Amino acid sequence: MSAAPIPPAAGIVDCAVHPAPRHPDDIRAYMREPWRSRPFPGLQRYFYPAPNGDFDPAAGPNPGTDPDLVARHVLRDRGAAAAILLPQTRGLLPDLDLAAAICAATNDWLAAQWLDRPGFYGSIRVSPADPVQAVAEIERWAGHPRMVQVAVPMQAHQPYGQRLYAPIWEAAARHGLPVAVHIDSASGVELQTTPVGAAAHYVEWSALYPLNFGVHLASFIAEGVFGRLPDLRVVFADGGIDMLPPLAWRMDKNWRPTRNETPWVDRTPTAYLRQHVRFLSHRLEGPADAATRAKWLSLTGAANLLMYGSSYPAWDGCDPATAVAGADSATATRILGASARDWYRLAGEAAQA
Amino acid sequence: MRHRVARAAEIPPGGMVLVPLGRRGVGVYNVRGAFHALSNLCPHAGGPVCRGDVTGTTVAGGAPYAQEWVRDGEILRCPWHAWEIDITTGRTITDPTRTVATYPVTVEDGWVVVEVDER
Ligand code: FES
Repeated sequence: MSAAPIPPAAGIVDCAVHPAPRHPDDIRAYMREPWRSRPFPGLQRYFYPAPNGDFDPAAGPNPGTDPDLVARHVLRDRGAAAAILLPQTRGLLPDLDLAAAICAATNDWLAAQWLDRPGFYGSIRVSPADPVQAVAEIERWAGHPRMVQVAVPMQAHQPYGQRLYAPIWEAAARHGLPVAVHIDSASGVELQTTPVGAAAHYVEWSALYPLNFGVHLASFIAEGVFGRLPDLRVVFADGGIDMLPPLAWRMDKNWRPTRNETPWVDRTPTAYLRQHVRFLSHRLEGPADAATRAKWLSLTGAANLLMYGSSYPAWDGCDPATAVAGADSATATRILGASARDWYRLAGEAAQA
Repeated sequence: MRHRVARAAEIPPGGMVLVPLGRRGVGVYNVRGAFHALSNLCPHAGGPVCRGDVTGTTVAGGAPYAQEWVRDGEILRCPWHAWEIDITTGRTITDPTRTVATYPVTVEDGWVVVEVDER
């Protein structure tokens, strides 16, 4: 990648770091029976293994499991002030109580093992399939000074704007917590990976999964969720801004003829984006050459909508220079940290810029 | 130019006539006893808007996800791309800056009279 303008080190905020327990079963220590001894899936996605394994070899033999090492890699080595930690859960599980127990244990584990370190902020994992338990989990953590967002899987059985989920988004908005939508790493009972069936190979899956972000985004807009909840903010936390411009054009064009079907949508769909939506950077996205990249950044609205997320320790993670390749310096400053500090209302060490 | 376009009794409430005035014709509508005259030219892409259905529209209801039917008989839907137009003002519902041209209408001696100057 070409040299990119990097703002002062203190300005960088990494919005997607994935910590993991040293052993997948370590979270059982934070569970009560009968869940503690109940079998549940491990952490690695098994449908689509990455070509060299799921992790960046530079992350070490137990990637993402050692808070000191993670702090060194994502904060110190990259000059970042803050990292938003987004641990994975275990896919969509048919037993809703087990899924909720895994989320709760993951949150307890994260708070106990990670959130006492400078620069680390956390995500409240909830299982959206059971809104009652999800809301209770948000209430349990909303007052924690280091929990800065709610996190849900990209995989779902219904698009997220639909009414089943409304209480979860209301709770998040009430507490001023953005909602991160991120691919969950384990396979549970999710639907096919594309609307027309399962992609057969990794290259198809990795190219196509952001379609699901588009489905959730269209649903949030068309179902009026943003209109009803002015404080709801949603971050698509694993790429997807590539898919945004055509989706936005198409929805805006068809809003006028179909507005009467969704009367709560009182403006063009793209008018919701700046207030309610962000995407995180992803290494697979955008054209390769720097000149076209500058145009692509402007087409996608990146100056307002894109924030840096490394996906550390994923094999296809993104460093700050890659995230802002082709960006002018004002845009780079926003992508690398200024937008995230506003979005997460970060206090403490991350607020210094 | 003032034009007698029809006897008032020929356009009952809910009815309309399309008359060959102006550039593309003018639709004269009776909405609950009040007459409105609109150009048959859609501000979107020039469609024959007065060929569209007279209908109502929706607004968000009191509860989340609820909607209500309102303004029955006051809304015109363009037959080309379904934009909604307020017959009483000519304004499109989604963009009040884009309007269908309207003309003054009066009823004189039982005649509906429309004032159209363009040719
Ligand atoms: S021409 Fe009337 S809606 Fe397009």
